[in-house]
Amino acid sequence: MRPQKPHAEIAAANPRRGGAVLVMVLVACVLVLSAQAQVRGGRGTVLQSWMLSASAPVAAAVGALSRGVSNAISSTQALFHAREENERLKKDLDARELELFRLRAEARQGAENLRMLGQGASLPGVVGSVPVLLIEHRAGVHGALIGAGSADGVVPGSPLAVPAGLVGRVVTVGRGVSRAQLLLDSSAAAGARIARTGELGVLRGDGRGAMILNNIATTSSIARGDLIESAGIDGIYPRGVPIGRVESVSRGSKLFLEIRVAPTADFSRLTDVLLLAPSPAVRENAETAKGAPR
Amino acid sequence: MKIGRIALLLGAAVVLEFFVGRSPYRGFLPVDWFLLATAAVARSGDFVRAVATGATAGALEDAVLSQPLIGMNAFAKAIIGYALTLVSVRVVFGGAVAVGAALAAASLANEAIVGLLSALLSQSPIVLVSRDALWRAAATGVAGGAFESAWNFPWGEWWHRRRLRRLR
Repeated sequence: MRPQKPHAEIAAANPRRGGAVLVMVLVACVLVLSAQAQVRGGRGTVLQSWMLSASAPVAAAVGALSRGVSNAISSTQALFHAREENERLKKDLDARELELFRLRAEARQGAENLRMLGQGASLPGVVGSVPVLLIEHRAGVHGALIGAGSADGVVPGSPLAVPAGLVGRVVTVGRGVSRAQLLLDSSAAAGARIARTGELGVLRGDGRGAMILNNIATTSSIARGDLIESAGIDGIYPRGVPIGRVESVSRGSKLFLEIRVAPTADFSRLTDVLLLAPSPAVRENAETAKGAPR
Repeated sequence: MKIGRIALLLGAAVVLEFFVGRSPYRGFLPVDWFLLATAAVARSGDFVRAVATGATAGALEDAVLSQPLIGMNAFAKAIIGYALTLVSVRVVFGGAVAVGAALAAASLANEAIVGLLSALLSQSPIVLVSRDALWRAAATGVAGGAFESAWNFPWGEWWHRRRLRRLR
């Protein structure tokens, strides 16, 4: 950098010299203004015209640049707006899809209930249709959770069935959910009858997806394909509800036949079950338990 | 301040005036860039160059903004250049706030002088201070304060520290 001369610095910092320059500039300005003021109201002066012409290219170039930058900013803003709108619309769509899913499920459930009730008209004492929430097959245990509880009038021991046949019974009741024991459970049992011959026996689940009919004497004429239905002698299940068909009959080592029964109800496709009215014995037990002091 | 640097300042002021004036955000940034250029020169304490710069900046402003009478802003900014130089030489003050306040006051003075000249020469109604003028003064003051802060900021030291932090 070139050092400034000392006298020049003094002169520059001298307000008198600056004042003189200021006065000259102001006088020049006033003269220019006065010259222009004489022609005001006209189409402008030559000076103005010249100034405008001189500044036009700069104005055009910088204006174009400014327009470009403004457009870029606007585009960026629009992009952000579009993103926000996209997010909002996605959320909206998700909510609507959820609503649609819920409504479809409700409609399906309603239709299924109607179908079940229509088909189950032949079953005795149908209270209503309840959805199956969960089915459990584990170590011989065959259970299910159903979406109805004490609030819906379910009591322990209420039989469950589908139009095709008996399914099981309610064992534990919650307020809105209950636990049911299926007939396939290894500890489940029901009084059964051979529909063709009328012979009575006890049906037990084998824990492996089939049932065993016990207490049928070897003198019985039971054959493969015979219908087994509930006998109504156990105090739990109503009489005359189909349970299964005889799959195989073999002579056991003792006095009774060994009969395997295949369930008529498709346990693998249980989505809804019909809740049957509990037998008078079960109802009486439930009322007794309710009134008993704890 | 060297003449080349003054020319650069004035050129930057013209460019910024067009740039911001063309943009849709001009309402938010009504900064008097020519006044800032004048103030930057006045800061050096050179009366002659400050007055000349003010006059040139004002003339350019008149031309750029297509004022009905070229010379009004030149007149006003020449006076402001002189006054700001006087302030920078005689009064010891600094800091972004003080500089911003001085520039806001200068902007208001500029508006008042132009309004007065316009009323005198064009017989137009006299408008010394308006809401736009206040907003323009505020924007100019904020911009000036920001430039002052940036000018005084120890960028070299900051950069050095930043590099050291990265190396660690």
